[in-house]
Amino acid sequence: MAKQAGSSTTPEGLVVRVRDLHVYFFTDLGVSRALNGVSLDIPAGKVTGVVGESGCGKSVTALSIMRLVPHPGRITKGEILLYREREKQNGHSIVEEVNLTDLDPQGPVIRSIRGAELAMIFQEPMTSLNPSYTIGDQIMEAILLHQQCTRKEAEERAVDILARAGMPNPQTVVRRYPHELSGGMRQRAMIAMALSCTPSVLFADEPTTALDVTTEAQILDLMRELQAAMGMAIVFITHNLGVVAQMCDTVAVMYLGRVVEQAPVEPLFYDPQHPYTRALLRSIPHVGSRTKARLQPIRGVVPDPYATIEGCPFHPRCDYRKPGLCDVRVPATTQVGENHTVRCFLYTEQGEDNG
Amino acid sequence: MDKADLMQQELLLDVKGLKKYFPVQSGLLRRTVGTVRAVDGVDLFVRKGETLGLVGESGCGKTTAGRTILRLLQPTAGEIRFNDPKLGWVNLERMSRQELAAVRPNMQIIFQDPFSSLNPRMTVERIIAEPLVINKVAKGQELKDRVADLLRVVGMRPEYMSRYPHAFSGGQRQRIGIARALALNPKLIICDEPVSALDVSIQAQVLNLLEDLQAQFDLTYIFIAHDLSVVEHISDRVAVMYVGQIVELASTDELYYTPKHPYTEALMAAVPKPDPRRRDRPIKLPGEVASPVNPPSGCYFHPRCRYAKEVCSKEAPVFREVTPLHYARCHFADELKLRGVVG
Repeated sequence: MAKQAGSSTTPEGLVVRVRDLHVYFFTDLGVSRALNGVSLDIPAGKVTGVVGESGCGKSVTALSIMRLVPHPGRITKGEILLYREREKQNGHSIVEEVNLTDLDPQGPVIRSIRGAELAMIFQEPMTSLNPSYTIGDQIMEAILLHQQCTRKEAEERAVDILARAGMPNPQTVVRRYPHELSGGMRQRAMIAMALSCTPSVLFADEPTTALDVTTEAQILDLMRELQAAMGMAIVFITHNLGVVAQMCDTVAVMYLGRVVEQAPVEPLFYDPQHPYTRALLRSIPHVGSRTKARLQPIRGVVPDPYATIEGCPFHPRCDYRKPGLCDVRVPATTQVGENHTVRCFLYTEQGEDNG
Repeated sequence: MDKADLMQQELLLDVKGLKKYFPVQSGLLRRTVGTVRAVDGVDLFVRKGETLGLVGESGCGKTTAGRTILRLLQPTAGEIRFNDPKLGWVNLERMSRQELAAVRPNMQIIFQDPFSSLNPRMTVERIIAEPLVINKVAKGQELKDRVADLLRVVGMRPEYMSRYPHAFSGGQRQRIGIARALALNPKLIICDEPVSALDVSIQAQVLNLLEDLQAQFDLTYIFIAHDLSVVEHISDRVAVMYVGQIVELASTDELYYTPKHPYTEALMAAVPKPDPRRRDRPIKLPGEVASPVNPPSGCYFHPRCRYAKEVCSKEAPVFREVTPLHYARCHFADELKLRGVVG
């Protein structure tokens, strides 16, 4: 049943490519530039971490790719490309490129993709599960929508996927309501639901933030196991750098609606290039470091989303800023290593038009 | 120096056998059908000027323990002795409301959520001034000056005092909460998850502020948190709670690197380390955290413990000093070779 995502990709091995994505929220208070030129590559069959502080746009990025940006938000510029495998009559398969930004967010094409090829799990399993339906009904809903099978078969699949998600007594749990389960078990149910149609990309938006540390470790372990077995790409959205280090193959660091650095996980932690990434790593206590060294906070605060900042969004808090450059122009994305890109004038003279 | 000597001069707080039970009521007549043992026999002492970390998973009773120590909740049993700078050693559990009012200025609390712990209808000035007004410490211009000082102490501009909480970010609100806690020059501050709701870059600012204030005003903290890296950073000693009991208490280094309780070992293995070259598999804890309504027989941790033997399900282990000032509640604390956070 598992679709090997490795075969369903472009030559570059990507499953989703986001280019210069702008999402603005047109509110009564003004325009909030939630995404201000996000470029992000999601490799197939790997775990991509998206880290950043609240309001940096990491959740909006995932919602945009799912085409679920809530009102009054709109994609104003940029493109989101999904690479999906299509079978041809002669048995060969080809990779089809779908521009998700062109689709009607309520139209049939995105609805056939959402839930089937792109799935999502959320932070708070209690609020994202419907309290008035059983766990089984909620898992079966997606199966019945996307796959041709009877209710009985759908229920069997629901039990099966719950078991794979490590749920004890899955036969009884399908008849239970969300409030009858603990937080960790609800998150397992959510994961089961998201994986019920074997998606090629699973967006996990802070899936363990609300959980206790031992439960978190179990859920992370489960996700690693399922990823290895089913081969989907996971986009792991979190603010916890520890979780990123433990889970991800590649990491994108976001700041104020832009990806400022993307790199494989080891260079990101051992050789970070962007001043924000460096500052972020210095500001957290490292467990087991045995040092009582003072933490080095990032000065200032994350600016409010309605503010417009000329130039690089990080320059007001940056120790390396070059006056006349960083506060005027936005740095272009620069390649600094293998699969390692950074947006900072320390590495390029080249700028982009603001906004 | 043994504990009796320490007691006289060095200790600020000494808690023995603290219990807080809540009744479980059900039905139309609200009949009591059970008891939640939220805090079920906690022993701890706190030295002047130190930070005692209190960690554990949600529902383990760490917040209830903190509130019961402050007598914000009435203890079911046990002794809470506080070394008041004026009154000397007092037993908080026996004090009346009026008697407590004299001790309360020395014991303050900082809450987790800076969005719900500040009254949205009060200006920052009124929020910080309230304890000063209630205790008749200052009024008029003097009061205003004191509020301005407090704002400066927590790194905020006094001009902001006429604004309302909604005008501030999470980190700034937490600073306002800290200023309010500092208003009466307390000795003991219970910090209940003070940085959990903050962004990472702001966490560091608030943690540094708490450390600076501790040095500047000779404060003693009980730091309640679930984030083990934050607790390691800020604490001198750490207590680990499980189902209403402290299962281990030791200096931060000993607890993190040479734990003596299997639950501490599992916690340490579960912390996601911010280092991609150190990917450990977590220790699988079977089942779920025991219910404080109906805890297991013997050691509360035995159904999930990979070292459990027969005795563990029959006899409850006592909380004892295994090595000097390293306490654990485990039958096999002397024998087990447990893995710390570094592995």
